[in-house]
Amino acid sequence: MIEIKVLGIGCPKCKRLEQIAQEAVTEAGVQATIVHVTNMQKIMEYPIVSTPGLVINEELKSSGRLPRKEEVVAWIKEAQS
Amino acid sequence: MPDLLARLAELLQSGLGNLAAYLAAHVLLCLLPAFLIAGGLTALVPKESVTRFLGRNAPKYVSYPAAAVGGFVLAVCSCTILPLFASIYRKGAGLGPAITFLFVGPAINILALSYTGVALGMDIALARLVLSIVFGIGIGLIMAIIFRRDDATRDQNANDGFVGQAKVSGRVWLFLGLLLALLIVGTLQVGLFTNSYAQITLPIAGMDRFQETLYRWVPFDASRGEEGVTAQGAILIGLLGLIALTAWRGLSRVDEGYNRWTWVSLGLIALTLIVAATRMAPHAGGLDIQLTGKMFGVIAVMAGAWYTARRYYEDYEVQEFLWETWRFVKQIFPLLIVGVFVVGALRPLIKPEWVQAMAGSNTVWANLVGVAFGVFMYFPTLVEVPIANLFLSLGMHRGPLLAYLMSDPELSLQSILITASVIGRLKAWTYVVWVALFSALAGLIYGAWVDGTSLALLLLYLAAGLAVLVAALTWANRRQKARPISVPASAESRG
Repeated sequence: MIEIKVLGIGCPKCKRLEQIAQEAVTEAGVQATIVHVTNMQKIMEYPIVSTPGLVINEELKSSGRLPRKEEVVAWIKEAQS
Repeated sequence: MPDLLARLAELLQSGLGNLAAYLAAHVLLCLLPAFLIAGGLTALVPKESVTRFLGRNAPKYVSYPAAAVGGFVLAVCSCTILPLFASIYRKGAGLGPAITFLFVGPAINILALSYTGVALGMDIALARLVLSIVFGIGIGLIMAIIFRRDDATRDQNANDGFVGQAKVSGRVWLFLGLLLALLIVGTLQVGLFTNSYAQITLPIAGMDRFQETLYRWVPFDASRGEEGVTAQGAILIGLLGLIALTAWRGLSRVDEGYNRWTWVSLGLIALTLIVAATRMAPHAGGLDIQLTGKMFGVIAVMAGAWYTARRYYEDYEVQEFLWETWRFVKQIFPLLIVGVFVVGALRPLIKPEWVQAMAGSNTVWANLVGVAFGVFMYFPTLVEVPIANLFLSLGMHRGPLLAYLMSDPELSLQSILITASVIGRLKAWTYVVWVALFSALAGLIYGAWVDGTSLALLLLYLAAGLAVLVAALTWANRRQKARPISVPASAESRG
């Protein structure tokens, strides 16, 4: 089971990242939970400078930009193995 | 009852007139490129190229200017400002630079700057830019001095986020430079661009009647600087409508790939810019279109940008750029249109005497009124500009107007509350007080310049003021190092 967190305070980019993550999970065909973290204190616990951030299994994968779907799929597969 | 109806019709017409003036050619030539630049900055410039100057170990003479100028690249909307503010404060360069960033960000972004310049005059845009950089650094320094103990208590973990080595590459400079050239060619009023070099006439009968009908629908008062809807304006509004329709299908999910609608909407955007750059004169026999230097310039720059995008960029980068641009438009433009309409409709209700009595001249009181209005009113991004224009036309002095423009995007009750959740209530309200004071001061200084005080003298005062603050901070730091604090955490550092 993979745990994905989207870090962001509700800006359009963060919502888009959540969509991308959702699609990537479907494409990778894995079991995963996606949580949207909006609490600033919680977001700041990760080594992140700007939102949106993507965390997979408690590891920060990207921040400050929208990763492409292929990237996210690769990260998910990597986390699974 | 008929009186009331006539009154309502008048308000409606006034609103439409204002809307027409703001969708006129010269405003579009500024706004469309500004949105493209904002999208380009967000999508193509890596954030690390600025944040690497804002890390914990950056020296102060680097971090403060970087925080001030960084807003240009990083802070096109408030939803990126606050997370960045929080991380600079907690993990990066500390309270001072974070405050500087928070203050300068909204004033320095390309949309606000170019829109202010076109609607209110380049002098006020420039004053807004220079004074917010100077005062942003000033407020940052003051906050760092007042709360100097606080910096010692923040968590000392190094943060990987601030150590990237990313640089802005040549192709990014080239592309953004071309977009900037588009903005400049479109708005600069020099003979080379405004002269007409050729003319074509479209034989459409009845153009003069069309124009008269438009003027009848939306009456205007030329003596107050109003423009009314021209035939060109009507064509542009039509094009904007078409862009909205096609972009919805073509750009909303462009980050997943191009589709047919993408090309249609891009073509329409280019056409809008070209049409806006020409000059049109309707008469009984048809429509004269004068091909201005501006139009040729716009075409040349757009061709250059297109070539650069195809030649030096991967598809997905261009797609992300388009997506970001469209996102800004979607987020800001509808609110702007509603705002402009409402401002126009309110105009007949406000008596010029009121505004003139409150803020007609450049006094301390008038500047404080400007600031207070900015704090208690919350307007969406960019709507502060038509509001300011309303006040200007009603007789507000330009000094208090700048005070309002400086404080409005910085301070609203909402942003004060969010700021407080990051740095604690005491610091947030201290910040608010300083912003209010400095905004009023900015208005006074600019107002004095408008009234004829020499620029050199004002700049001298500014430089001297900043030097005093730098000296005070250095002194405070030295004293603190000499005498280490025995009682660490202060009571209010809960944020």
